[in-house]
Amino acid sequence: MSKIWIAMIISSLCALAIFSPSQVVGTMMEAAKMGVTMCIEFIGIYAVWMGIMQVMDDCKLSHKLSKILSRPVQYIFGKTDAETEKNICLNIASNIIGIGSAATPYGIKAMQGLDKGDKRATRAMIMLVVINSTGIQLLPTTVIGMRAMAGSISPSCILWPTIVSTFIPTILGILLVAVIYRRRKKNG
Amino acid sequence: MADLFIPILIAFIMIFALVKGVDAYSAFVNGAKGALPLMASLMPYIIAMFVAVELFRNSGLSAYLCDFLSPLFKAIGIPPEVCELTLIRPFSSNAAYVLLRDIFSTYGADSYIGKCASVIMGSSDTIFYVSSIYFASTSVKKTLLTIPIALICNVACAIIACFCCRFI
Repeated sequence: MSKIWIAMIISSLCALAIFSPSQVVGTMMEAAKMGVTMCIEFIGIYAVWMGIMQVMDDCKLSHKLSKILSRPVQYIFGKTDAETEKNICLNIASNIIGIGSAATPYGIKAMQGLDKGDKRATRAMIMLVVINSTGIQLLPTTVIGMRAMAGSISPSCILWPTIVSTFIPTILGILLVAVIYRRRKKNG
Repeated sequence: MADLFIPILIAFIMIFALVKGVDAYSAFVNGAKGALPLMASLMPYIIAMFVAVELFRNSGLSAYLCDFLSPLFKAIGIPPEVCELTLIRPFSSNAAYVLLRDIFSTYGADSYIGKCASVIMGSSDTIFYVSSIYFASTSVKKTLLTIPIALICNVACAIIACFCCRFI
């Protein structure tokens, strides 16, 4: 991660220094401002979802939901404690129904639960991040909305291709993590 | 359907809490309390990502890289017009939405390119953003093969997306 970041920064700065050095500071500050604005918006979004999450927690609803998903989750992630398992289940459930903004707080909690103070990422952590970054989603609501605004005659015709091209890579990711991890263990 | 789903879900949770005799108000407040500290700890990572992405786009490097990579993209069935979107998508949703809007206004939402771009946008996610904020809250320094695996899945996603779009 840090290597990619440094490479991006240095190469972009070099290119800007050659073509338009006056833009550098402006671009950086504008980007930082965008970042802060997004954080503030996200405080609101997360506050609402984390509030609802807590309500679900307090009336043991999330416990029930995670019981349904717990078999496949245990199969994919291996042994985790009950709290973490619940967070993983809720993370995946909110991704699937398309409320990505609710998925992130669960995902972060699950990551903290998987964290054993180790410097190296564990298999379960890699699995969770890969599943999240392939974006399992059934209803691409934002894209459909944008298509409608752009005057498409059938905004939701992209639905089945989206579902196909989100599930196949997700399965591919799960398989890759599973296979690579196993090989690693044998070597070590 | 999606518009209906979320209000029903939330209403269901609230009614369930009422039936169970749980004080939904104080539970909500308790949960919401966590949002500010969470965001405060993630903010530096988000800003770092935004600065890198904006520099990368404004320097024209992303456009260069696309010119350079487009023959490769063409070979695996991805039209060169969605190349930049495919490259930016792993870094930033916002930047990708800007590109998607550009594609819609240039080629039209119902063109093959417009459809490809829509599917790529809807079926992939911001790999670098997700992995940086997920790992930010842990003690992990070495993310091992997380990003390479996620990128492989992303390329697979783009290929499948452009393939499926031929049939609609």
